[in-house]
Amino acid sequence: MNSPEDTLVLLLAGGVGSRLNVLVKARAKPAVPFAGLYRIIDFSLSNVMNSGMKHVGVLTQYKPQSLMRHLGTGEAWDFTGRSRGVKILPPSTGYKDSDWYRGTADAIRQNMSFVHSHPSEEIVILSGDHIYQMDLYDMIDFHRARKADITIGMMVVPESQIHQFGAGITDSSGRIVEWEEKPQVPRTNLASMGIYVFNYKYLMKLLAEDREIVDFGMHLVPKALARDNVYAYPFEGYWRDVGTIQAYWEANMDLLEDDPLISPEAWGIRPNLESEQLLADRIPARFAAGSRVKRSMISAGCVIEGEVVNSILSPGVRVGPGCRVQDSIILHDCFIEEGAVVDLAILDKKVRVGREAIVGRGDRKGISNSQFPDHLYTGISLVGKEATIPAGTHVGRNCIVNPWCQPQDFKDTSLQDGETI
Amino acid sequence: MKKKLKTLAMILAGGRVDDLTVLTFHRPKSAVPFGGFSRVIDFPLSNLMNSGLERVAILSQYRSYSLINHIGIGAAWDMIGRNRGISILPPYLGYGQSQWYRGSSDAVYQNLDFVRFLDPDELLILSGDHVYRMDYRQLLSYHREKDADLTMVCIRVPTTEAHRFGLADIDDEDGEVGGRVVRYREKPKKPEYNWASLTVFCFKPDVLYQTLEDNIREDVSYEFGRDIIPRMMKDKRRIYGLKFRGYWGYTSTINEYWQTNMDLLGPAPAIPFAEWNIRTNLEHRGIGDCQPLKIGNNARVTDSLIYNGCTVEGEVEHSILFPGVRVEKGARVKDSVLFFNNVVGRDSVLDRVVSDVNTAFGREVRIGVEGEPVIKYPVVVGWNNTIAPGTVIGSGCTVYPCLSTATMPKQAGTDEVIR
Repeated sequence: MNSPEDTLVLLLAGGVGSRLNVLVKARAKPAVPFAGLYRIIDFSLSNVMNSGMKHVGVLTQYKPQSLMRHLGTGEAWDFTGRSRGVKILPPSTGYKDSDWYRGTADAIRQNMSFVHSHPSEEIVILSGDHIYQMDLYDMIDFHRARKADITIGMMVVPESQIHQFGAGITDSSGRIVEWEEKPQVPRTNLASMGIYVFNYKYLMKLLAEDREIVDFGMHLVPKALARDNVYAYPFEGYWRDVGTIQAYWEANMDLLEDDPLISPEAWGIRPNLESEQLLADRIPARFAAGSRVKRSMISAGCVIEGEVVNSILSPGVRVGPGCRVQDSIILHDCFIEEGAVVDLAILDKKVRVGREAIVGRGDRKGISNSQFPDHLYTGISLVGKEATIPAGTHVGRNCIVNPWCQPQDFKDTSLQDGETI
Repeated sequence: MKKKLKTLAMILAGGRVDDLTVLTFHRPKSAVPFGGFSRVIDFPLSNLMNSGLERVAILSQYRSYSLINHIGIGAAWDMIGRNRGISILPPYLGYGQSQWYRGSSDAVYQNLDFVRFLDPDELLILSGDHVYRMDYRQLLSYHREKDADLTMVCIRVPTTEAHRFGLADIDDEDGEVGGRVVRYREKPKKPEYNWASLTVFCFKPDVLYQTLEDNIREDVSYEFGRDIIPRMMKDKRRIYGLKFRGYWGYTSTINEYWQTNMDLLGPAPAIPFAEWNIRTNLEHRGIGDCQPLKIGNNARVTDSLIYNGCTVEGEVEHSILFPGVRVEKGARVKDSVLFFNNVVGRDSVLDRVVSDVNTAFGREVRIGVEGEPVIKYPVVVGWNNTIAPGTVIGSGCTVYPCLSTATMPKQAGTDEVIR
């Protein structure tokens, strides 16, 4: 039997993640920066690398350029060499007009030639959207031990959340006996993580047989449940789908705990150091005399002259004298000019906050964003990539400043709570 | 058709240096960590990269392992490809008389096969152990313009210090830029001129080959400064000096090394680190696997440089922390340089300490605090030490690497050596 390390891995990185708003305006969700140095997809990629697997196909769809640049040759995760490789698999037109991936199973079916060129005992399918650490080798071992046809990675979630997931009920051996996709009325709290191990031949047969199967959770699993061996691999540990601004912010903030449940370094998560953020060219973070930093994570290349509290800074962020940055996530190379305040905000890359400006002003965190009330409603304001906040401007709560906004786009000197530019 | 190599750069990686004590027990001088994430050799290497010179050989002899690990395949400096590359050249057993490198010129001489094979138009020879930023293309174009046999880069030094250097008397042929070297003396007792050679040389290969042959055949020492340059002066070669006016950092003694690191700090640092485009190998010691620096709730960090992978819960003032350093609650670190993975235990105090890799300071130690010496020298602590809680070590002490807690005294005064 082949080693689990020869298993083909398909990473679904096509997600739009629209609820991440400006963060996904110009990039796919898996490419969204996280925890200062990383991108969301680094977690899945690193888990695959650390589990020993060497053959990875990354299925892209939505705005893949950022992702493709980030993946590069795959060298950052050791996917280069004679017997290794990472391949980007974008959708391509086939015989029919609309050949975008219509769902998880459809994405696999459309990449049959790639899959056929990498035969292995099993195929692992996972998404690039989640923050977690997992040993896939162990999951494949489990799958083999149970002689399963399908093994699904599953974990216990609070009942209030189960409606977001595929939910399963298992017997004492871990075999899934019932399944419901996004149940309105929860009957279980065991949720699918969207991580699958399939027997290769079994999956190929299934996909060829039934062309109606478009989505694993919705179509394939319910069908297989009755006649085949479908098992749940129990996962315990930190796992987050950072698909909303609130969830994204909370997961980042989880890093700042005294005894954090999430630790990219301990988990062996690898960023791509040669990517265009040029992590490799950054010098150590500089803390000027008079700077005050507490309970924060600061990446190399930052220059801190002011105050930073409870925040996460990606490389190259400059915080000028007299500034205060609090409860915020600041992405690469932002420049926060003298005396400015950034409070409970997420700033995308290369944002410039002018002198004495305030991003996140006022107490009215309950007024949702008017254009996207279901994206921003807890008080977090967003500033898109390369936007400039003019000096002295006040931006309220739950505001959105779109990418590339320039001073002339600001009609007033203040943006009321819930406004968007 | 293979492109002819214009310039081959050779870096003298250096060896053990008595005055750097424990820092060079296990690595050559050029591999000593510097600046919170890099190594001293990263400066000439990055300068070469930034000057577009990508064919490099490193002459290495002493404890090459650290250096070889650090260089890797040269990818960190982009020196991989058809016509690019870093070759490490250690001494080797040959057919005839073979020996360790007896000096810097002997090191080059023993590798002339290599040099001749590449057949460069110019040979750049650099020391590997200085901290500076230079675009070597300026040196190369001056060298070509003057059709020089040797062009050396020099810096003005104060007359009081001049006797420590190889000194050139450069005329005013090109004013501020440089001129002909009309006189040269190596470490003269009574210096008459004060342009000091920086061990940055550009040679016309044929001339160097000839001079090396003569040197090996006739002399008893084999150093560029002491032997090659005086020989070339005697042979009336065309020797030019390029006048350098930028920052030059030495790392030849613990105090010098510490001071050069401190030049990275302060409101207007002498070294504009971010502008120099220095690159290191992030695979070495897993720097690339580090998450961002984590600063705790009660921490206080001021006037310092700290890289990824560190955790600071105490106080850090005017110091440099390499990846993986942990400063625990109540600890105070001041004026110090702490290499990879040092742990500073709760409520301890480190004052002017240079600490090598993997050393753990127990709770409530006091290092470099006691004593009121006329000159406060840094304490230097060798690697892989565990300093027991409550230990007191006075300023200027040297602690040998890998000591067992049994051998280490609970207390040491000023300027002692603990082994």
